Amino acid sequence: MRLTIYIVRRLLFAFLLMVGVSLIIFFLVNAVGDPIELMMAETPGVSAETIERMKVHYGLDQDPLTRYFIWLGKLLSLDFGTSIIYNQPVGSLIATWGWQTFKIQVPAILIALAIAIFVGTTAARRQHSRTDFAVMSGALLGQSLPAFFLGILLILIFSYTFDVLPSYGAYSTRGYLWGSVVADGLWHMVLPVAMLAFFNTATLTLLMRSNMVDVLKLDFIAAARASGIPERRVVYRHALRVAVIPVLTYLGLLVGLMLGTAPVTETVFTWPGLGYLYVTAIHQLDYPIIMGASMVIAAMLIAATTLTDIAYVLIDPRIRLE
Amino acid sequence: MHQANISRPITDPLTTSPSSIASAGLSRAPLSTGERAQVGGLVSAGEATEPLVHVDNLRIHFPPRRAPIRVVEGVSYSVARGETLGIVGESGSGKTLSSLAILRLLPRPAQIAGGRIVFEGEDLAAKSDEEMRRLRGKRIAMVFQNPGFSLHPLMTIGAQLSEILAVHERLARKDADARVEELLRLVGISDPGARIRQYPHELSGGMKQRVCIARALLCNPSLVLADEPTTSLDVTIQAQILELFEELKARFRMSMIFVTHDMGVVARIADRIAVMYAGQICETADASTIFSDPQHPYTRALLGSTPRVDQRSTRASGFRLPTIGGSGPTIMQQGDGCRFATRCPEAGPECARLAPLPLAVGPRHIVHCLKRGSAGEANHA
Repeated sequence: MRLTIYIVRRLLFAFLLMVGVSLIIFFLVNAVGDPIELMMAETPGVSAETIERMKVHYGLDQDPLTRYFIWLGKLLSLDFGTSIIYNQPVGSLIATWGWQTFKIQVPAILIALAIAIFVGTTAARRQHSRTDFAVMSGALLGQSLPAFFLGILLILIFSYTFDVLPSYGAYSTRGYLWGSVVADGLWHMVLPVAMLAFFNTATLTLLMRSNMVDVLKLDFIAAARASGIPERRVVYRHALRVAVIPVLTYLGLLVGLMLGTAPVTETVFTWPGLGYLYVTAIHQLDYPIIMGASMVIAAMLIAATTLTDIAYVLIDPRIRLE
Repeated sequence: MHQANISRPITDPLTTSPSSIASAGLSRAPLSTGERAQVGGLVSAGEATEPLVHVDNLRIHFPPRRAPIRVVEGVSYSVARGETLGIVGESGSGKTLSSLAILRLLPRPAQIAGGRIVFEGEDLAAKSDEEMRRLRGKRIAMVFQNPGFSLHPLMTIGAQLSEILAVHERLARKDADARVEELLRLVGISDPGARIRQYPHELSGGMKQRVCIARALLCNPSLVLADEPTTSLDVTIQAQILELFEELKARFRMSMIFVTHDMGVVARIADRIAVMYAGQICETADASTIFSDPQHPYTRALLGSTPRVDQRSTRASGFRLPTIGGSGPTIMQQGDGCRFATRCPEAGPECARLAPLPLAVGPRHIVHCLKRGSAGEANHA
């Protein structure tokens, strides 16, 4: 019951936060200047009447506050407007391109999490050993390498030198691999997923290891061992449950980070994802996409933190709900 | 020859280090037959009652291996069935390490460097890791110092306790739950049916320690290691927990090694007392003997500096609680001699060099001091 109230309160808070974010996004973009004027500045020779007609067409002749409420009202019915460049509804653009981002980011996070839990725990159990040292060095190196550098390295090795994996795009332009859409899609996913997973694994492993080292020194672990509970169970049931909590928090942050790194990853691999869409929209001053994509990215971040908070309460009974 | 088990470090050449054999042979005569009879006296001679656990010349070292830090050096003691041994000593005197060594759960990088631990007739060093695991919690259980930290914070009381039963015994779920509830009731927890669904943070410190005690007793172990189980509790709760230990001792007839730094606590609970200083045992005797006839200078100093109700430390009475001169031992540089020598009022030059070998000074009363015993001084001169 208290949990339900808590969840409802968190959701309400998330909604208010979204309204705040929408204000910031709208007026920040608005402050850049009138989009039609900016676009027309690059195309001289357009008559003032045409510009005026375009403004009326896009509703830009009204005052900002009215426009904000019109925009917000449409947002509530999931209408993000129409892209200026693509001349398509922004909502469906975000959905199609966003799905491509999801397709590489989620597997990368899951793979990284699985590896990090196992490798981080193994290193922690042998603290100061050679294994531990190797894991730490590898993870630090992985964390320090800029993501795009690793991406270019992967392309150089697997696409250029050995020519076994495609270097760009989500699908082949001429003929699918083995004639199958699914196989072809997976084949294209390998390099971007590998790059993202490598980067995430490095960070998550370091976090997992240091938490595990601390938890394994706690008294209740010694007590579990002294009670004759098998070592594997002590580590993977008793210790992991406590050590994984900060990792879950980080996972919430990672969703935000993943949208932040998406433009880089997707540019390196020319991946038709949300990041790529976002970057090109900024280059081309496609306001509806910039605002719509910003809202979606903010919504995902807020959703991720809200879910993390709720997950906390479910995992850790010590967190008091008042 | 179980009657002489307590004096074994002297007489068993297999388990003593070469240096101590040499010094024993050269400078100190083995116990006379009369003394031996006294040592084994109360362990009814001839009868096959070997002690439940016998720790013999235990040595625990920290690396580096070439010049190890000898945190526990030549500790020996025995605990008979149904008996409670109190190990008293300051922090860092090796009390906890020597009890963890029994479970073979020394924290790294500490290692058992020598000696034997015999439990129910079996040498624990010879057991496989898996055999040791099956022994822990079932035949030897442990109660830790801080109940706030020794229960899993994210598991209910019931889940933690029944997991141990599931590991050691084949019990139906219903029987296991009943067992857990029964034990919780035995350690004085009211409404155990509701408690098993609670998490540790919902219980008070004293309650948590009761749960920890119940956890130790789940599989009816023959030996319970209690490591300062009352230290982190309030004085009133301490008294309750001690009472509980006394009650359970009588009820379960288990043996117990009760580690503490508190003379008052040990006076209540222990049948026998071993006094430790800086990784060595100073004196072992029946509890009443330690208080009525302490022989080792450290034991005397320790008792002398324990406040008593009939002494008032006021300016008017002129009485001040005595302290032990000097400061605590550095465990880093320790020779072969008596580690208390630097602070000992009676120490002579030989004390710092020669290992203080055990000497029986009375029935079941062993002292590790060169300045004690009829032949002691002469032999080392």
